Amino acid sequence: MIYVLGLGNVLMGDDGFGPAVVRQFEKTYDVPENVEVVDVGTPGLDLMPWFYDAERLIIVDTVKADAAPGTMRLYDKRDLLRHAPSVRTSPHDPGVKEALWTLELAGRGPKEVTLIGVVPESVELTTDLSDTVREKIPVAMEAIARALGQA
Amino acid sequence: MSTHITVDPITRIEGHLRIDVEVDGGVVKKAWSSGQMFRGIERILIGRDPREAWLFTQRFCGVCTTVHAITSVRAVENALNLEIPPNAQYIRNLIVAAHAMHDHIVHFYQLSALDWVDVVSALKADVVKTAALATSLSDWPGNSIKEFQAVKDRLAGFVAKGQLGIFTNGYWGHPAMKLPPEVNLLAVTHYLQALDYQRRVNKVVSILGGKTPNIQNLAVGGVANAINLDNDATLNMAKLYEVKELLDSAKQFIEQVYFVDLCAVGALYADWLKYGAGVTNYLAVPDLPTDTKGTQFDLPGGTIFNGDLAKVTKITSFGDPYFQKNVSESIAHSWYDGDWQRHPYEEDTVPKYTSYDPNKDYSWIKSPRFDGHPMQVGPLAQVLVGFAGGHELTVKWAKKTLETAGKIAGATLTPAILHGTLGRHAARMIRCGVISDLADKHWNLLAENIGKGDTRIFNQPVFPKGEIQGFGFHEAPRGTLSHWVVIENGKIKNYQAVVPSTWNAGPRDAKDQPGPYEASLVGNPIADTDKPLEVLRTVHSFDPCIACAIHTLDVEGKELSRVRAL
Repeated sequence: MIYVLGLGNVLMGDDGFGPAVVRQFEKTYDVPENVEVVDVGTPGLDLMPWFYDAERLIIVDTVKADAAPGTMRLYDKRDLLRHAPSVRTSPHDPGVKEALWTLELAGRGPKEVTLIGVVPESVELTTDLSDTVREKIPVAMEAIARALGQA
Repeated sequence: MSTHITVDPITRIEGHLRIDVEVDGGVVKKAWSSGQMFRGIERILIGRDPREAWLFTQRFCGVCTTVHAITSVRAVENALNLEIPPNAQYIRNLIVAAHAMHDHIVHFYQLSALDWVDVVSALKADVVKTAALATSLSDWPGNSIKEFQAVKDRLAGFVAKGQLGIFTNGYWGHPAMKLPPEVNLLAVTHYLQALDYQRRVNKVVSILGGKTPNIQNLAVGGVANAINLDNDATLNMAKLYEVKELLDSAKQFIEQVYFVDLCAVGALYADWLKYGAGVTNYLAVPDLPTDTKGTQFDLPGGTIFNGDLAKVTKITSFGDPYFQKNVSESIAHSWYDGDWQRHPYEEDTVPKYTSYDPNKDYSWIKSPRFDGHPMQVGPLAQVLVGFAGGHELTVKWAKKTLETAGKIAGATLTPAILHGTLGRHAARMIRCGVISDLADKHWNLLAENIGKGDTRIFNQPVFPKGEIQGFGFHEAPRGTLSHWVVIENGKIKNYQAVVPSTWNAGPRDAKDQPGPYEASLVGNPIADTDKPLEVLRTVHSFDPCIACAIHTLDVEGKELSRVRAL
């Protein structure tokens, strides 16, 4: 199975970018049968059931990066595993890296991972995205489509 | 001279928790627990339709989604005095049961086992001896020489590449790690196997809930699972049998692996039985209702004070005034405006951050109290309330656990040893066993009821003019969760969630009574002040989850990784 997962908290402004993108993606594109598109929220290590038997993962999320709000970044599995030997030191870390590493040790998990990230502008208690980040939804949807095309 | 240690953040939990301890002569003398994230998320509900509240509450926390959804619909149903059909009750119960089993397995293996299990020591294990030990304890088919060798080889590969850091704080080789290499290899192997079984039981939640995390099948008044045994799109025979198969396989793992590991690891750390009791007032609410009103339950609830197992006051219904009247929250040492202790219906959540000052305000968490007392919540509370009240399944699983662990430890273990750090782990497993039996029962109740031709799933809610209020509770994996709602003319006027980790992680109250985390750390040994593994052991034993908020992924870390602009 190929999973397209939207990560983030829909109650916390731009943190809801991932869920917003995947919901829109499902409405806009014809999703092939071997692809499942899911708004997973912020499940932490409970991402593992999704990663366990995935051949390929496409994740949409907000990312912390030294760049202007609305900047989009693309990462692959090697990027995500790069900082493996660090512990979970941030509450803002949704467990993507831990889940991937744990499954590596179990000899499971996806071969390929694409993470489509946006730098948030405002992470406050609201169900709305900022304009800067909302404008990036189509860009992220195209990135998902491109990633699926490569699969 | 005393040493002050700050552990910030506590790792392998959800959310941001800071613990401070004062250590003197290698022993913790005082402790402070501080929630480092503002949690005023209920405010987003004000003015909304109470029928939709559960869709929002399950986004409070990304891990505890199901529990906030269930509790929210129960709160609104309580306000409306609305019963739900038997099928709806059973379907909710199966979701509750499967979620709890998933959560308890993940907690024991993925989130806390490595406080006790030294991963690196497993490399020194003799695989033949490991297999012999394992088969002497259990019939589990995953205990083969081949399996242990494969895990040992993979571990060796990881260690060679220096990649094990993510699994602990680097506390392997710590003087408080006591297990022989063979037991460590056994536990690491089961740690990896548990990934498959927690996933299977989680699938039950997604089949019945439509999706997990964030189930979609609830409604105020019942559930939205249309039942038609001959229709592929609805809840039918094939789906019911898939649920049964998944529950059965999880049950086998719980009985043959989790139970055995808990007894063995617990017994080999018997010297830890004396640590971590802390607050021995306990609160649990009844759950898995078997009637449409919520007056009969398969899981027991009640209170115990001062560890006195001879005296239990039972909580017996969804509307029980004993629970309703006695819950309050204090903000004496929290970063909120005011200095009150109020009933949840009367509360507000107005942040007023000052600075971290253990003598004044030091946490974003409020301090819930029951009749003014701090209470410990969680599986230990439910197991003790059940045991003391003669709840048959709890007594069965508790006795079996104490006997088996006692045999390995060469000691007679009584329920009194459950007050403490190891007791919380044991109780979680005992509860998981009880629930695995009850999941089976509730599957049968559902199948039989549908078999009788009853396909009702929903009773329509009707909101009156004027103001009403209600509360819902649920014995979640981490303990007693309650939601309190005030509804005016069909819209939410006030909403408060009193969550399990608030009961346990809350700061001192106006009378300076410490919360359960704070009290449980006092008296813990600290072998190495630079590596306070013992603090993690005790705090992790509560299964902390205080996320309820936000995250942003930090892929790039300190050094810039390879990135491409879009």
